[in-house]
Amino acid sequence: MRAIVIDDSRAMRLILRRIVGQLGFDVIEAEDGKAALDTLNSESEVPNLALVDWNMPNMNGLEFVTAVRADGRFKDMTLVMVTTESEQSQIVRALAAGAHEYVIKPFTQGAMLEKLALLGLVPSGATA
Amino acid sequence: MSTEIVPTAQDLADIVGQVWSSYLDTEGTDPLIPIEESPSTDIVASVSITGGWSGHVVVSCSDAAAKQAAAAFLMMDATEVSADDVTDVLGELANIVGGNVKSMLPASSMVSLPQVVNVSGGSVRWPACVQICELAGVWREEPVSIAMWQKTDLADGNG
Amino acid sequence: MQLSASDFAFIAAFIKREAAIVLAPGKEYLVQSRLAPVAREGGMRGVNELVYQLRQDPGPELRQAVIDSLTTNETSWFRDGEPFSALSQTILPGLLASRSVAKHLRIWSAGCASGQEPYSLAILLRDFLPAGWTFEIIATDISAEMIRKAEAGLFTQVEVNRGLPAAMLVHHFERVGAHWSVSEELRRSVTFQRLNLAAPLPPLGLFDLVFLRNVLIYFDVETKAEVLHRVTGTLRPDGLLFLGSAETTIGIDEGFERVAVGRAAAYRMRTAVPAGAAGRV
Repeated sequence: MRAIVIDDSRAMRLILRRIVGQLGFDVIEAEDGKAALDTLNSESEVPNLALVDWNMPNMNGLEFVTAVRADGRFKDMTLVMVTTESEQSQIVRALAAGAHEYVIKPFTQGAMLEKLALLGLVPSGATA
Repeated sequence: MSTEIVPTAQDLADIVGQVWSSYLDTEGTDPLIPIEESPSTDIVASVSITGGWSGHVVVSCSDAAAKQAAAAFLMMDATEVSADDVTDVLGELANIVGGNVKSMLPASSMVSLPQVVNVSGGSVRWPACVQICELAGVWREEPVSIAMWQKTDLADGNG
Repeated sequence: MQLSASDFAFIAAFIKREAAIVLAPGKEYLVQSRLAPVAREGGMRGVNELVYQLRQDPGPELRQAVIDSLTTNETSWFRDGEPFSALSQTILPGLLASRSVAKHLRIWSAGCASGQEPYSLAILLRDFLPAGWTFEIIATDISAEMIRKAEAGLFTQVEVNRGLPAAMLVHHFERVGAHWSVSEELRRSVTFQRLNLAAPLPPLGLFDLVFLRNVLIYFDVETKAEVLHRVTGTLRPDGLLFLGSAETTIGIDEGFERVAVGRAAAYRMRTAVPAGAAGRV
């Protein structure tokens, strides 16, 4: 299992790496949507999961999700937005663009695990 | 009367409470204990908001609080925390509080990248701004402050 | 007003015994700030009087209120997942057949705390039941404070992050300031009521499903048996009882048998006719 963590904050990438790393994911990182697409294009193995911030320079998370959804190579990748954007309309936009789940910052480690469990990405019992 | 939407002290307190329970007080045993006066702080992290509301969201604290916050946020021991960790975590805390404040404002508002500066007991000037609210407190016996500064042209407009 | 050292030591010993939580010295402010609302609600003059009562004979209600106030009470939506998948995959299809005449379901969420469980059930039923069906959810808790909060249906961002699928959040909730408010439709499908399970029950009618999860852990063995006995009286003969994942009726009330429903476990009365496709373990 492989995950890509996309966030311009190094601190946020570190805690997300730690949380999904504990679940046994092999984690790669990118600082923005553009860098993430470059990484995806240069690697042969498609990650099972992408955790995507919204507000990032170069290419934002919504643009990244839209680009990934339009590309058949990535159809099995689960997309989770992880962002402070918490207006109802923004969540609706992200889901419509193809995000599978949405985690609002701040989040607890337990909340992140529960969201991943909804997506079938956590071994049973790990959220207890 | 202006129809401008202004985040309130209660909104700020709600957001800060959520940041604390998520990262800095996950067991509910290390709350931010409110104090009356604005404390002297060493590190100032801020984001600027522009658009429907313009101003700054500022998180500041002592060196010791910043180090402990970085350790708690990154789930590591305080002895492992580097200077970069402190800067990045304080910046991210300002970004999370600011981003949540932004989400209560008109959709046209934007949040800047966080700025983190070392002031060692001094302070940062926010030109043409007034402080509209501050949450000052003590966390793990160290001073912390979270404040919102509003651009004065808007503040005047609100009378 | 500061807590005395001996009062703090008493509370620390109490919460360690009751909830296995360790309160180190220096947490006096925390204890003071958490207990002040409990004292206020109990009509006491302050935390000192509350500790005095706790040292005498507090009764289960005050005891639990104190425990609740000192434990971080984070409840998730669709908590533990499995009972809810069992509901949509096995139990509700079974009930659609067995209740096809009445087309009405009654569910009790006992110990509903801040309301995540009954609202989760309401979301699930609204999405699942075909047109023409109705349902009623009674949600009870011993704490008047919790009932007020649950009934208000206002949740923080951190609370709605916990296990609530984003599509359901935007469909069933509306953002209000830093909070999210449950839709009027959802609120109307749940009736909240303050209720002490350790005392005789008011008339509640009969239920198809009872959720009594992570409540028995607060009671001693005799009280557990009494509570289970009372619950028996509210279950339809083929009704199902759900307990917390670490709880059981075994050794407390032999009138129940454990049944496996998907990956979840539920309990039904021994003489019962199966309601759905539930099979014996």
